[in-house]
Amino acid sequence: MRIAASISGRGPALTVALVLLAMSGALHAQSSSPSLSPELEERLARASAKADAIAQRAGRVADINAIRNLQRIFGYYVDEAQWDQVADLFAENATLEIAGYGVFVGKPSIRRYLLSLTGGRVGLTYGQLNNHFQLSPVITLSADGTRAKGRWRVLMQTAERYEDESGGNWGSGVYENEYVKEDGVWKIQKLQLFVRFYVPYRDGWTRADSRATLRYGRSGVRPDRPTTFADYAPYPARYVAPFHFEHPVRSGYRAGPPPASAAGDTAAARAGSLAELEARVRALELEVQRLQAHDQIERLQSMYGYYADKNMQDATSALFAEDATLEILGRGVFVGLDRIYEYMRRLGAPAPGSLFNHMQLQPVVHVDPDGNGASVRSRLFVMFAAQNRAAQWGEGVYENRFIRENGVWKYRNLLGFQTFYTNYEDGWAKKASPIFAPFPGYPPDQPQSVAYDPYPAVFVPPYHYRNPVTGR
Amino acid sequence: MQISRRALFLAGLALSGAAAAAEPIVTDNRVITDDRRLAILEAKLASLQKQVELLEDVKAIERLQQAYGYYISEGMGEEAADLFSDSPTASIELGLQGVYVGKERIRAFLTHESNRLKDGEIREAPIMQGVIHVAPDGRTAKARWRTLVMGGMHGEDGTWAEGPFENEYVKEDGVWKLSKVHWYVSMIGSYDEGWHRKPLPAPGPLADLPPDRPPSEEYQPYPAFYLPPYHYAHPITGQPVVWE
Repeated sequence: MRIAASISGRGPALTVALVLLAMSGALHAQSSSPSLSPELEERLARASAKADAIAQRAGRVADINAIRNLQRIFGYYVDEAQWDQVADLFAENATLEIAGYGVFVGKPSIRRYLLSLTGGRVGLTYGQLNNHFQLSPVITLSADGTRAKGRWRVLMQTAERYEDESGGNWGSGVYENEYVKEDGVWKIQKLQLFVRFYVPYRDGWTRADSRATLRYGRSGVRPDRPTTFADYAPYPARYVAPFHFEHPVRSGYRAGPPPASAAGDTAAARAGSLAELEARVRALELEVQRLQAHDQIERLQSMYGYYADKNMQDATSALFAEDATLEILGRGVFVGLDRIYEYMRRLGAPAPGSLFNHMQLQPVVHVDPDGNGASVRSRLFVMFAAQNRAAQWGEGVYENRFIRENGVWKYRNLLGFQTFYTNYEDGWAKKASPIFAPFPGYPPDQPQSVAYDPYPAVFVPPYHYRNPVTGR
Repeated sequence: MQISRRALFLAGLALSGAAAAAEPIVTDNRVITDDRRLAILEAKLASLQKQVELLEDVKAIERLQQAYGYYISEGMGEEAADLFSDSPTASIELGLQGVYVGKERIRAFLTHESNRLKDGEIREAPIMQGVIHVAPDGRTAKARWRTLVMGGMHGEDGTWAEGPFENEYVKEDGVWKLSKVHWYVSMIGSYDEGWHRKPLPAPGPLADLPPDRPPSEEYQPYPAFYLPPYHYAHPITGQPVVWE
């Protein structure tokens, strides 16, 4: 009966896990000895308590990953002005504050404010850009694991219209946020944004005054409360957004379990049978393997960028599986490792005067339930230079797939969407490149898989995930 | 009936997945005693505990490195220096400025006039794109990161600066600390004209606070090409990645 209820009410991953636990418990119970010696009973109780403690610690690592994903997912929705999706990431009684402007209280107020940023509608219109990179997390979990705080950086690239002489805007700032776990789902409880500068591309941060920055986030909807940070002032004034965390070394921050761990108390009550513990350990092994996969895949993405930066074309190619596919911008799809090597080698060897920086940022990582595959959305931020004569900025979004082959993670599908490429002298809002077509004389194996126009047109690269709070 | 058949099917899938993922546990007590079954579990739990500690270490190191970035961005040199180990071999080397060894020398460098934030100065230094490797014993770690610094004085030309870190860490009494910060300067350039038209030279050693050792590698930033060495072998081929 419990199995049936689980199947009807929950997602497939949880169902599999529950069924696995129930089935293996039942099977093994039949083959277990009727009773253990007192010595073995004691060892079993100790092992069971240890399993509880490990599960709790693994759960805290998973919580940090979930919060990193949540804030990064927030950023990708903000990029596209998908305000319904953004608002749904907040808890019911959450607050959103723009330092120096004010506080919006409760989900309906937050939603109304966000919509007002694009004239009451969801989504961008032609010529608008709203990139909000989410970078540099410092996450601090509460001892009981139900709340958390996070400091993040935001780097903004925005535009109000195309063919704008200003070139668009650069912005930089810091978030100090709070999160809450409700029914196992992390949500934003408090968002506080401290903008340091928000300035026209043409002028840069050093030549713009603070009035430019104070335009950020202003709309016709008034905040519910005045700002909490009366002394906030943007650059060129000196203002340090308050840190939620203590100095990690002076305070002796430990990576390990929370100081007031309750695992010891609950253990005795849940000692269970040997067969039950075997099932729990198996489940724990899978959980730990999936957490390791999460880190390995983040590393792999970063390594890709560091090899691409320096035109290490063979090293980049060797990150792919034998049957992988590669699709970048509008160049079409290249199939198989040999073709990927060819493609990469066409990009050329390193040369003085050239710069090929491929920054890999803001990964949203989801490891498959079986731990053998993973999907990642991430951001590409490019700085080019060629022969000391031309420089470019580029920005885009990846939706990549990874597989584990004989225990080693590899790229299975790399799909890079173009948001913009622009000459340094122009800025994206003044002039951006059309989509990069296939290399002349070097056709792909398959045409571009998703047809789209990059900025200034509006295009939302498809997400591999649903909203983590609503499932929408 | 439909549901229970589906449940059996799913359980079969799940069991086969688990069997592929981990070493099988023999549970037939005609073959294996309860004592042996428990010993296997105890060994597995000891291994799992180690693995979870290493996962926690990765998170703590990310947190430590990001704190460094926030302190540097705010001109908080004392705070940045206190992220380092007390070990006499702890060191910092930024760009071509040479190596400072030991915490007090690191502190002297990070609080030197040239590293303070003056009125009207800005230094936004996001730390990004980590490749963290914790040693199997969980006592030391290495990581590559990068920063793209937005700098300058208000009213003057701004600057871009970009390059990777190859840093090292040590865990002392359960607390992760920096043991080596080494930032390679790949590019410094003018905001107004761009790095391609006006690359700027990287600052050398400070005249009034000479480093303890000269720069550990000879190179120049853009427009020259230099490959800052990776602390890791290629993750799939296992070979070092170098440029000759």
